[in-house]
Amino acid sequence: MQWLQALPILISVVLGIGLTILQPGERKVRNAYIMGSVMLTAGLSFAAIIAAGMADTAPACTLVRFSSEFSISLRIDGCSMVYGAIVSALWPLITLYSLDYMSHEGHESRFFGFWIASFGVVLGIAFAEDFLTLYLFYELLTLVTLPLVMHFMDEKARYAGRKYVVYSLAGAAFAFIGIVFLLRYGTTLDFTYGGVLDLAKAAGNETTLWAVFVLTFFGFGVKAAIFPFGAWLPDASVAPTPVSALLHAVAVVKAGAFAVLRLIYFGFGTDFLRGSWAQYAVMTAAILTIIYGAARALRTPHLKRRLAFSTVSNLSYILFSLTLMTPAGLVGALAHMVYHAVVKITMFCCAGSIIQKSGREYIYEFEGLGRRMPVVFGTFTVSAFALIGVPPLGGFVGKWMICTAAVLSEDPWAYFGIGALILSTLLTTLYMMTIFVRAWFPVGTVDHEALSKIHDPGPAMTIPLMVLAAAGIVLALFSAPLIEFLQAVSLNTL
Amino acid sequence: MLLLPILLPIFGGVFVFREREEKTRNRLTLGLTVMTAVAAGILCALPEQSLRLMTIEGSLYLALQSDSLGKFFMVLISGIWLPVAVFAEPYLRHGGKGQQFQGFYTMTMGMLMGLALADNFVTLYMFFELMTLLTAPLVLHGGTPAARRAGLKYLGYSVFGAGMALAGYFFLSHFLTDQSFTGGGALNLPLAAAHRPLLLIVFLVMTIGFGAKAGMMPMQAWLPTAHPVAPAPASAVLSGVITKGGVLAIIRVTYYLFGAEFLRGSWAQYALIALALCTVFTGSMLALKEKSLKKRLAYSTVSQVSYVLFGLLLLSPGGVRGALLQMTFHALAKDTLFLAAGAIIVATNFTHVDQLAGIGKRMPRTMVCFSGAALSIIGIPPMSGFISKWYLASAALNFEVRALGYLGVAMLILSALMTAGYLLPIVVRGFFPGRDVLVERREVGPRMTAPMLVMSIAVLVLGLFPNGLQAWISTLLPQIF
Repeated sequence: MQWLQALPILISVVLGIGLTILQPGERKVRNAYIMGSVMLTAGLSFAAIIAAGMADTAPACTLVRFSSEFSISLRIDGCSMVYGAIVSALWPLITLYSLDYMSHEGHESRFFGFWIASFGVVLGIAFAEDFLTLYLFYELLTLVTLPLVMHFMDEKARYAGRKYVVYSLAGAAFAFIGIVFLLRYGTTLDFTYGGVLDLAKAAGNETTLWAVFVLTFFGFGVKAAIFPFGAWLPDASVAPTPVSALLHAVAVVKAGAFAVLRLIYFGFGTDFLRGSWAQYAVMTAAILTIIYGAARALRTPHLKRRLAFSTVSNLSYILFSLTLMTPAGLVGALAHMVYHAVVKITMFCCAGSIIQKSGREYIYEFEGLGRRMPVVFGTFTVSAFALIGVPPLGGFVGKWMICTAAVLSEDPWAYFGIGALILSTLLTTLYMMTIFVRAWFPVGTVDHEALSKIHDPGPAMTIPLMVLAAAGIVLALFSAPLIEFLQAVSLNTL
Repeated sequence: MLLLPILLPIFGGVFVFREREEKTRNRLTLGLTVMTAVAAGILCALPEQSLRLMTIEGSLYLALQSDSLGKFFMVLISGIWLPVAVFAEPYLRHGGKGQQFQGFYTMTMGMLMGLALADNFVTLYMFFELMTLLTAPLVLHGGTPAARRAGLKYLGYSVFGAGMALAGYFFLSHFLTDQSFTGGGALNLPLAAAHRPLLLIVFLVMTIGFGAKAGMMPMQAWLPTAHPVAPAPASAVLSGVITKGGVLAIIRVTYYLFGAEFLRGSWAQYALIALALCTVFTGSMLALKEKSLKKRLAYSTVSQVSYVLFGLLLLSPGGVRGALLQMTFHALAKDTLFLAAGAIIVATNFTHVDQLAGIGKRMPRTMVCFSGAALSIIGIPPMSGFISKWYLASAALNFEVRALGYLGVAMLILSALMTAGYLLPIVVRGFFPGRDVLVERREVGPRMTAPMLVMSIAVLVLGLFPNGLQAWISTLLPQIF
């Protein structure tokens, strides 16, 4: 039974490697193989999540045991379920989208091989039971997604890839320091709600441990693009759009946030950290990133880069909520993780369709595009409203939960975070409105001849778009059960 | 039933967008507006109702109710929206792109109805934001770079203002006994008394935030930018009704969440009164110096809506009475002025005050309406504006802090003088241009003059017979306090 948890991870890695070896020549066969593997992995992953949800205490699944302290083992808990479910729900949809999108880009077998393998690795991060496993999959994720970022293999892509690897590996190295200290001062490396630190051992060394925590936070924070280590993310937007959509809006960046979640709530423990200067240091960094990301987004005319900066800002909503170090903060972070994932992935897919169908990448080229691509810009507009935070759409619920948590924490420093969130709402409105206002309400003379050749993409692209947009709305409208579930997760009463 | 006036224009608006045939579209827009107004009217006749739409978490839920303030507001919206819709048809033929305008125009009405019917802050915030987002295309309508800048400025100010209010609410919600709007306030008083300084800051922030929409300083700058570039019907409703959306939100926050009792005599109240008075003065001052007609009217709105806020912030029944009267009369009169400005643009393309010499001979009907409305804005009896200003002044005289009350009255009188200074010359030079000016008669058609006439007659009639409205407000007041 507990092997079910390992199954999706192993199978998808094997299937991914299989694709790069087999290299099926026939397009139909390859597409069937890809869709089949992704669906199989997603199905298994959901099965594992549901099985874990049914069981009272999900048993751990140990893959490799090095010693009594070190092992590679998996166990699905509440947080794993949330992150695993987001990833497993979105991966098949985006695969459907990218089969069409990537059909003209070349080297599909290599691309989709790594694509399938990285699905498994992300699930590994989600299902990891202890810091060592998390670390292993975390490093693997960097390596397995690198070929996806560098797919085009031109000058820009290679530069972006190098930057991505250097940032991520360096960040992971910092994180490793933290894991060593956790081993030294903790009772176990397994994730334990409330922290693993042995307070007797830690007594007297608080300052060192806080410093180590800050290092580790920034180390994991690199993937979550925290200021000043987020520079790789906008550059990585040279990757093919499905990669930007799935990895740079959901899987990779949220893996960073997820690792921070594990670190704070299941590693050092909130009791140890709350009220320390370390908490204020990381909270300040998150607040600064919220504003920095949004301000840079406003000043970036390239659509995908703008979305990337918007991701930087929104990820720090999540990090800010995590640094509140209260159960309510955890709820806010998980809620925003869910809603932001759905919304941002939709927007990136729209961006991909725009770039592919019109060849225009800069927003000042979008004058009048709305009427030519109504589905794409329609879904984009709805998602933009959600991102801005117009109730009752998703972004608002996330923001609401975060701000409520910030108020409840009764920490005056967190009040600045609320201010930052409101300021970011304003900036989000401006950087989103300038995109679709141009598209719907063109100014000046519009080149109708050039526009007349542009139209909505085919159903393989528009269906995922509409499903995603609809999912975002439905998820937000019926978010009561989700929030209840997250609250149970945050109190570890699952 | 509660959903009807909200959903009708929203879904109807979709059809307005899709309808390319102009005549059908005009009929559809008018029909929808009338139907919404009727639905709102029926709702007003029915006893108070409430409806829980959805619950997400704890205090995060959407709910509607039709209390008497909401009803009052719905009638006001319907009364303005209809004539302006009639006016908009020929105006848009002149300007083009009617589909887009009428679609958004219709949908905005639904949002305003929702704003009036909102039962808690979250619902109010939702409709407030949607109203902002849907009215932005009305400002953007011109399709010029200036229009786009103005539209974004409008969005920025409104969204940031609403965001400030939302930030305040995060704090406030923990001190409320009841998340839904309750006349007299919903604060948990013993708990709130312990955190009074914090709550007063929250009140200040929320009021300034919503005040952005109502054109209160320090966030009034969007008004004079947005109005000149928007088409005249859009400026009319922006000035007449949308700014009142901000006022409504402030009423809800002040009287239905905090409660007058808690706020009375606090520094936050005095600070906000001072801000409102500053706005009254500065708005009039800037209007006096402004030469572009629509911009002058926009500054006038800045000044006049702050009369309303001043009345509200006095936190006395007399002040609220004056404020509600001023809100109604200003909406009617200012809309007439903006429509007249639009008619002048259609007939002559004049936008500047200096060009308007002799305009009264060219467009007598328009200018008669303009004059009537101008007199009301200044506050000359028997026009209705006089009555509202009378109540405001008498409420100010009864204010607990004498100095501030007298200052308020002085400001009102000063501002009235300045208002006369910036509106009367237009009228006087329009009708008596001197001998040298040659004029030919170029009146606009009846579809444009009729709405202006109706509204200016309403301004006069309500001034002569204010008893009905007065009685209605009298039944409303006990529910607010």
